[in-house]
Amino acid sequence: MIALIGVLFWAGVHNLRHRRALADANHVPLIKAAPASDNSGPPDAEGSNLRGKDAPAFTLSDISGKKVSLADFKGHPVVVNFWATWCGPCKLEMPWFQEFSSKYKGQGLEVLGLSQDDGASPDDVASAAKKIGVTYPILMPDEAVAKKYGGVDYLPETFYIDRAGKVVEVTAGAPSKEQMEALIQKTIAAGGA
Amino acid sequence: MKRSFLALIALMFPIIAAAQIQLGGLDRTTEAKKQHVELITDSLQLTANKPQDVELRFRVEPGFHINSHKPKDELLIPTELKLEPGSFHIANQQYPAGSRFRLQVGNGEDLDVYQGEFRVALRIEAPKGDSTLSGSLRYQACDNAACFPARTLPVKIAVTAK
Repeated sequence: MIALIGVLFWAGVHNLRHRRALADANHVPLIKAAPASDNSGPPDAEGSNLRGKDAPAFTLSDISGKKVSLADFKGHPVVVNFWATWCGPCKLEMPWFQEFSSKYKGQGLEVLGLSQDDGASPDDVASAAKKIGVTYPILMPDEAVAKKYGGVDYLPETFYIDRAGKVVEVTAGAPSKEQMEALIQKTIAAGGA
Repeated sequence: MKRSFLALIALMFPIIAAAQIQLGGLDRTTEAKKQHVELITDSLQLTANKPQDVELRFRVEPGFHINSHKPKDELLIPTELKLEPGSFHIANQQYPAGSRFRLQVGNGEDLDVYQGEFRVALRIEAPKGDSTLSGSLRYQACDNAACFPARTLPVKIAVTAK
Protein backbone atom coordinates (compact mmCIF):
# COMPACT_ATOMS: atom_id res chain seq x y z
CA MET A 1 0.00 0.00 0.00
CA ILE A 2 2.87 2.37 0.79
CA ALA A 3 4.26 1.63 -2.64
CA LEU A 4 0.85 2.37 -4.15
CA ILE A 5 0.67 5.75 -2.40
CA GLY A 6 4.19 6.48 -3.55
CA VAL A 7 3.33 5.65 -7.14
CA LEU A 8 0.18 7.80 -7.04
CA PHE A 9 2.12 10.72 -5.58
CA TRP A 10 4.89 10.36 -8.15
CA ALA A 11 2.31 10.14 -10.95
CA GLY A 12 0.70 13.36 -9.74
CA VAL A 13 3.99 15.24 -9.75
CA HIS A 14 4.92 13.76 -13.12
CA ASN A 15 1.52 14.70 -14.54
CA LEU A 16 1.91 18.31 -13.40
CA ARG A 17 5.43 18.55 -14.84
CA HIS A 18 4.20 17.04 -18.11
CA ARG A 19 1.39 19.59 -18.41
CA ARG A 20 3.76 22.45 -17.69
CA ALA A 21 6.13 21.13 -20.35
CA LEU A 22 3.25 20.93 -22.83
CA ALA A 23 2.25 24.48 -22.05
CA ASP A 24 5.82 25.66 -22.55
CA ALA A 25 6.06 23.78 -25.84
CA ASN A 26 2.83 25.21 -27.20
CA HIS A 27 3.72 27.34 -30.21
CA VAL A 28 0.49 29.30 -30.12
CA PRO A 29 0.16 31.76 -27.27
CA LEU A 30 -3.47 32.51 -26.53
CA ILE A 31 -3.39 36.26 -26.35
CA LYS A 32 -5.77 37.96 -23.97
CA ALA A 33 -7.67 41.12 -24.77
CA ALA A 34 -6.70 42.51 -21.41
CA PRO A 35 -4.73 41.42 -18.37
CA ALA A 36 -6.76 38.66 -16.89
CA SER A 37 -7.10 37.11 -13.50
CA ASP A 38 -6.02 33.52 -12.95
CA ASN A 39 -9.51 32.14 -13.48
CA SER A 40 -10.29 34.01 -16.68
CA GLY A 41 -7.88 32.32 -19.03
CA PRO A 42 -8.74 29.84 -21.70
CA PRO A 43 -8.25 26.19 -20.93
CA ASP A 44 -5.36 24.25 -22.39
CA ALA A 45 -6.31 22.27 -25.41
CA GLU A 46 -7.17 18.91 -23.88
CA GLY A 47 -6.28 17.47 -27.25
CA SER A 48 -2.64 18.37 -26.52
CA ASN A 49 -2.52 15.02 -24.72
CA LEU A 50 -2.63 13.44 -28.18
CA ARG A 51 0.72 14.93 -29.21
CA GLY A 52 3.03 12.07 -30.22
CA LYS A 53 0.16 9.56 -30.30
CA ASP A 54 -1.83 8.02 -33.13
CA ALA A 55 -4.51 10.39 -34.38
CA PRO A 56 -7.94 8.99 -33.44
CA ALA A 57 -9.67 7.43 -36.44
CA PHE A 58 -12.94 8.87 -37.70
CA THR A 59 -15.42 8.63 -40.54
CA LEU A 60 -17.69 11.61 -41.11
CA SER A 61 -20.03 12.89 -43.80
CA ASP A 62 -18.90 15.85 -45.81
CA ILE A 63 -21.26 18.65 -46.79
CA SER A 64 -22.38 16.68 -49.84
CA GLY A 65 -23.12 13.58 -47.77
CA LYS A 66 -20.05 11.63 -48.89
CA LYS A 67 -18.30 9.58 -46.21
CA VAL A 68 -14.74 10.70 -45.50
CA SER A 69 -12.34 8.80 -43.23
CA LEU A 70 -9.04 9.93 -41.82
CA ALA A 71 -7.73 6.55 -43.01
CA ASP A 72 -8.40 7.68 -46.60
CA PHE A 73 -5.39 9.96 -46.26
CA LYS A 74 -2.92 7.42 -44.94
CA GLY A 75 0.59 8.31 -46.10
CA HIS A 76 -0.28 12.02 -46.32
CA PRO A 77 0.44 14.79 -43.84
CA VAL A 78 -3.02 15.89 -42.70
CA VAL A 79 -4.27 19.02 -40.96
CA VAL A 80 -7.47 18.38 -38.99
CA ASN A 81 -9.00 21.76 -38.18
CA PHE A 82 -12.01 21.97 -35.85
CA TRP A 83 -13.97 25.15 -36.58
CA ALA A 84 -17.48 26.62 -36.44
CA THR A 85 -19.42 29.14 -38.50
CA TRP A 86 -19.88 31.34 -35.40
CA CYS A 87 -16.13 31.42 -34.60
CA GLY A 88 -14.51 34.65 -35.81
CA PRO A 89 -10.86 33.56 -35.42
CA CYS A 90 -11.66 30.32 -37.29
CA LYS A 91 -12.95 32.27 -40.28
CA LEU A 92 -9.81 34.40 -40.35
CA GLU A 93 -7.35 31.51 -40.27
CA MET A 94 -9.19 29.17 -42.67
CA PRO A 95 -8.12 31.02 -45.85
CA TRP A 96 -4.53 30.36 -44.77
CA PHE A 97 -5.24 26.62 -44.65
CA GLN A 98 -6.70 26.98 -48.14
CA GLU A 99 -3.58 28.76 -49.34
CA PHE A 100 -1.21 26.22 -47.76
CA SER A 101 -3.21 23.24 -49.02
CA SER A 102 -2.43 24.50 -52.54
CA LYS A 103 1.14 25.51 -51.77
CA TYR A 104 2.06 22.13 -50.26
CA LYS A 105 -0.18 19.96 -52.42
CA GLY A 106 2.88 18.56 -54.17
CA GLN A 107 4.13 17.30 -50.82
CA GLY A 108 0.87 15.51 -50.18
CA LEU A 109 -0.69 17.91 -47.69
CA GLU A 110 -4.39 17.39 -47.01
CA VAL A 111 -6.59 19.71 -44.96
CA LEU A 112 -9.87 18.63 -43.39
CA GLY A 113 -12.24 21.14 -41.78
CA LEU A 114 -14.40 19.55 -39.09
CA SER A 115 -17.40 21.76 -38.41
CA GLN A 116 -18.59 21.98 -34.81
CA ASP A 117 -21.92 23.58 -35.72
CA ASP A 118 -24.28 21.31 -33.84
CA GLY A 119 -27.73 21.47 -35.34
CA ALA A 120 -26.65 23.28 -38.50
CA SER A 121 -27.65 21.83 -41.87
CA PRO A 122 -24.99 20.80 -44.40
CA ASP A 123 -26.28 23.62 -46.62
CA ASP A 124 -25.67 26.20 -43.88
CA VAL A 125 -22.14 24.91 -43.29
CA ALA A 126 -21.46 24.72 -47.04
CA SER A 127 -22.68 28.27 -47.46
CA ALA A 128 -20.38 29.50 -44.68
CA ALA A 129 -17.40 27.59 -46.11
CA LYS A 130 -18.05 29.14 -49.51
CA LYS A 131 -18.27 32.60 -47.97
CA ILE A 132 -14.98 32.03 -46.13
CA GLY A 133 -13.45 30.85 -49.40
CA VAL A 134 -12.32 27.31 -48.65
CA THR A 135 -12.65 24.34 -50.99
CA TYR A 136 -10.93 21.59 -48.98
CA PRO A 137 -13.22 18.90 -47.49
CA ILE A 138 -15.60 20.22 -44.85
CA LEU A 139 -17.02 17.53 -42.59
CA MET A 140 -20.18 17.64 -40.49
CA PRO A 141 -20.10 17.46 -36.68
CA ASP A 142 -20.06 14.34 -34.58
CA GLU A 143 -19.72 14.76 -30.84
CA ALA A 144 -18.07 11.35 -30.51
CA VAL A 145 -15.23 12.44 -32.81
CA ALA A 146 -14.74 15.71 -30.94
CA LYS A 147 -14.61 13.71 -27.71
CA LYS A 148 -11.86 11.48 -29.12
CA TYR A 149 -9.88 14.66 -29.82
CA GLY A 150 -10.19 15.92 -26.26
CA GLY A 151 -13.61 17.55 -26.32
CA VAL A 152 -12.74 20.50 -28.57
CA ASP A 153 -14.49 23.00 -26.32
CA TYR A 154 -12.37 25.86 -27.55
CA LEU A 155 -12.18 26.85 -31.24
CA PRO A 156 -10.29 26.85 -33.47
CA GLU A 157 -8.40 23.72 -32.48
CA THR A 158 -6.05 22.09 -34.98
CA PHE A 159 -4.24 18.78 -35.08
CA TYR A 160 -1.21 18.38 -37.35
CA ILE A 161 -0.87 14.70 -38.27
CA ASP A 162 2.17 13.24 -40.03
CA ARG A 163 2.28 10.63 -42.80
CA ALA A 164 2.53 7.86 -40.22
CA GLY A 165 -0.72 8.99 -38.60
CA LYS A 166 0.88 10.47 -35.48
CA VAL A 167 -0.18 13.81 -34.03
CA VAL A 168 2.83 16.10 -34.42
CA GLU A 169 1.35 19.30 -33.00
CA VAL A 170 -1.88 20.61 -31.49
CA THR A 171 -2.92 24.23 -31.36
CA ALA A 172 -5.87 25.89 -29.65
CA GLY A 173 -6.65 29.38 -30.86
CA ALA A 174 -5.65 30.99 -34.12
CA PRO A 175 -1.88 31.17 -34.67
CA SER A 176 -0.14 33.69 -36.90
CA LYS A 177 0.14 32.73 -40.55
CA GLU A 178 3.89 32.21 -40.11
CA GLN A 179 3.34 29.91 -37.13
CA MET A 180 0.77 27.93 -39.09
CA GLU A 181 3.12 27.46 -42.04
CA ALA A 182 5.97 26.41 -39.74
CA LEU A 183 3.71 23.78 -38.17
CA ILE A 184 2.69 22.51 -41.59
CA GLN A 185 6.33 22.28 -42.69
CA LYS A 186 7.18 20.43 -39.47
CA THR A 187 4.30 18.02 -40.11
CA ILE A 188 5.38 17.39 -43.70
CA ALA A 189 8.94 16.72 -42.55
CA ALA A 190 7.84 14.34 -39.81
CA GLY A 191 6.79 10.73 -40.27
CA GLY A 192 9.11 9.95 -43.21
CA ALA A 193 8.80 10.91 -46.85
CA MET B 1 -2.05 -1.00 14.82
CA LYS B 2 -2.40 -2.75 11.49
CA ARG B 3 -6.12 -1.89 11.40
CA SER B 4 -5.37 1.80 12.08
CA PHE B 5 -2.79 1.83 9.32
CA LEU B 6 -5.25 0.32 6.84
CA ALA B 7 -7.88 2.86 7.90
CA LEU B 8 -5.37 5.66 7.27
CA ILE B 9 -4.63 4.28 3.82
CA ALA B 10 -8.34 4.00 3.06
CA LEU B 11 -8.77 7.64 4.13
CA MET B 12 -5.85 8.90 2.04
CA PHE B 13 -6.67 6.98 -1.14
CA PRO B 14 -9.64 9.10 -2.27
CA ILE B 15 -7.73 12.30 -1.44
CA ILE B 16 -4.80 11.26 -3.62
CA ALA B 17 -7.13 10.02 -6.33
CA ALA B 18 -8.97 13.34 -6.29
CA ALA B 19 -5.66 15.18 -6.62
CA GLN B 20 -4.82 13.02 -9.62
CA ILE B 21 -8.08 13.92 -11.34
CA GLN B 22 -7.50 17.60 -10.65
CA LEU B 23 -4.00 17.52 -12.09
CA GLY B 24 -5.04 15.39 -15.01
CA GLY B 25 -7.71 17.53 -16.56
CA LEU B 26 -10.78 18.15 -14.44
CA ASP B 27 -9.69 21.77 -14.04
CA ARG B 28 -9.64 22.19 -17.80
CA THR B 29 -13.06 20.63 -18.21
CA THR B 30 -14.44 22.93 -15.55
CA GLU B 31 -12.84 25.92 -17.26
CA ALA B 32 -14.28 24.95 -20.61
CA LYS B 33 -17.81 24.77 -19.18
CA LYS B 34 -17.73 27.91 -17.06
CA GLN B 35 -19.78 31.01 -17.70
CA HIS B 36 -18.10 34.15 -19.03
CA VAL B 37 -21.00 36.46 -18.18
CA GLU B 38 -22.54 37.13 -14.78
CA LEU B 39 -25.82 38.73 -13.78
CA ILE B 40 -25.22 41.71 -11.50
CA THR B 41 -28.84 42.67 -10.85
CA ASP B 42 -30.19 40.29 -8.25
CA SER B 43 -33.27 42.18 -7.05
CA LEU B 44 -35.74 44.86 -8.12
CA GLN B 45 -37.92 47.10 -5.97
CA LEU B 46 -41.00 48.19 -7.88
CA THR B 47 -44.30 49.92 -7.40
CA ALA B 48 -47.03 47.33 -7.81
CA ASN B 49 -49.25 47.30 -10.88
CA LYS B 50 -47.48 50.21 -12.52
CA PRO B 51 -45.32 49.96 -15.68
CA GLN B 52 -41.74 51.00 -14.88
CA ASP B 53 -38.46 51.17 -16.76
CA VAL B 54 -35.70 49.05 -15.29
CA GLU B 55 -32.24 47.91 -16.36
CA LEU B 56 -30.82 44.45 -15.91
CA ARG B 57 -27.06 44.62 -15.49
CA PHE B 58 -24.65 41.97 -16.76
CA ARG B 59 -20.87 41.80 -16.71
CA VAL B 60 -18.59 40.06 -19.22
CA GLU B 61 -15.49 38.49 -17.72
CA PRO B 62 -12.32 40.55 -18.24
CA GLY B 63 -10.32 39.42 -21.28
CA PHE B 64 -13.41 38.20 -23.11
CA HIS B 65 -16.08 39.72 -25.34
CA ILE B 66 -19.48 38.52 -26.46
CA ASN B 67 -21.36 39.44 -29.62
CA SER B 68 -23.81 42.30 -29.23
CA HIS B 69 -27.51 41.76 -29.91
CA LYS B 70 -26.84 42.82 -33.50
CA PRO B 71 -23.46 41.42 -34.59
CA LYS B 72 -22.10 42.56 -37.93
CA ASP B 73 -21.86 39.08 -39.39
CA GLU B 74 -25.00 37.00 -39.81
CA LEU B 75 -23.02 33.87 -38.90
CA LEU B 76 -22.22 35.16 -35.43
CA ILE B 77 -24.48 34.29 -32.49
CA PRO B 78 -26.23 37.36 -31.03
CA THR B 79 -26.66 37.97 -27.33
CA GLU B 80 -30.29 37.40 -26.47
CA LEU B 81 -32.23 37.76 -23.22
CA LYS B 82 -35.38 35.68 -22.93
CA LEU B 83 -37.60 36.43 -19.93
CA GLU B 84 -40.56 34.33 -18.82
CA PRO B 85 -43.42 36.81 -18.28
CA GLY B 86 -45.22 34.71 -15.65
CA SER B 87 -47.24 37.18 -13.61
CA PHE B 88 -45.29 40.13 -15.03
CA HIS B 89 -46.12 42.27 -17.99
CA ILE B 90 -42.87 42.88 -19.88
CA ALA B 91 -42.52 45.22 -22.83
CA ASN B 92 -40.05 47.28 -24.77
CA GLN B 93 -36.95 45.15 -24.14
CA GLN B 94 -33.96 47.14 -25.44
CA TYR B 95 -30.36 46.09 -25.84
CA PRO B 96 -27.44 48.50 -25.72
CA ALA B 97 -25.40 49.25 -28.82
CA GLY B 98 -22.24 47.19 -29.05
CA SER B 99 -18.74 48.58 -29.14
CA ARG B 100 -16.18 48.03 -31.89
CA PHE B 101 -13.65 45.30 -31.25
CA ARG B 102 -10.82 44.53 -33.66
CA LEU B 103 -10.10 40.81 -33.88
CA GLN B 104 -6.31 40.59 -34.13
CA VAL B 105 -5.90 37.56 -36.37
CA GLY B 106 -4.24 38.11 -39.73
CA ASN B 107 -5.68 41.23 -41.34
CA GLY B 108 -8.21 41.34 -38.53
CA GLU B 109 -11.93 41.95 -38.52
CA ASP B 110 -14.15 44.48 -36.80
CA LEU B 111 -16.74 42.97 -34.50
CA ASP B 112 -19.67 44.53 -32.63
CA VAL B 113 -19.42 43.30 -29.06
CA TYR B 114 -20.20 43.77 -25.39
CA GLN B 115 -17.26 43.97 -23.00
CA GLY B 116 -17.31 44.73 -19.30
CA GLU B 117 -20.74 45.76 -18.03
CA PHE B 118 -23.78 46.04 -20.28
CA ARG B 119 -27.43 46.71 -19.45
CA VAL B 120 -30.64 45.47 -21.02
CA ALA B 121 -33.52 47.89 -20.50
CA LEU B 122 -37.14 46.85 -20.26
CA ARG B 123 -40.52 48.10 -19.16
CA ILE B 124 -42.08 45.89 -16.55
CA GLU B 125 -45.27 45.79 -14.52
CA ALA B 126 -45.33 43.54 -11.47
CA PRO B 127 -48.17 42.37 -9.23
CA LYS B 128 -48.09 43.28 -5.55
CA GLY B 129 -45.89 41.11 -3.37
CA ASP B 130 -42.71 39.08 -3.72
CA SER B 131 -42.01 37.17 -6.91
CA THR B 132 -39.16 36.01 -9.13
CA LEU B 133 -38.37 37.23 -12.62
CA SER B 134 -36.86 34.29 -14.50
CA GLY B 135 -35.30 33.77 -17.87
CA SER B 136 -31.98 33.20 -19.58
CA LEU B 137 -29.26 35.04 -21.44
CA ARG B 138 -27.78 33.29 -24.46
CA TYR B 139 -24.37 34.52 -25.52
CA GLN B 140 -21.20 33.37 -27.21
CA ALA B 141 -17.85 34.42 -25.78
CA CYS B 142 -14.41 34.73 -27.35
CA ASP B 143 -11.03 36.15 -26.45
CA ASN B 144 -8.55 37.53 -28.99
CA ALA B 145 -7.59 34.17 -30.45
CA ALA B 146 -10.43 31.70 -29.95
CA CYS B 147 -14.05 31.13 -29.01
CA PHE B 148 -16.19 29.05 -26.70
CA PRO B 149 -19.49 27.54 -27.83
CA ALA B 150 -22.64 29.50 -26.98
CA ARG B 151 -23.69 29.36 -23.34
CA THR B 152 -26.98 30.01 -21.56
CA LEU B 153 -26.84 31.98 -18.33
CA PRO B 154 -29.85 31.43 -16.06
CA VAL B 155 -31.47 34.70 -14.96
CA LYS B 156 -33.33 34.89 -11.65
CA ILE B 157 -34.17 38.22 -10.05
CA ALA B 158 -36.11 38.71 -6.82
CA VAL B 159 -38.86 41.28 -7.36
CA THR B 160 -40.60 43.11 -4.54
CA ALA B 161 -43.59 45.20 -5.60
CA LYS B 162 -45.37 47.38 -3.05
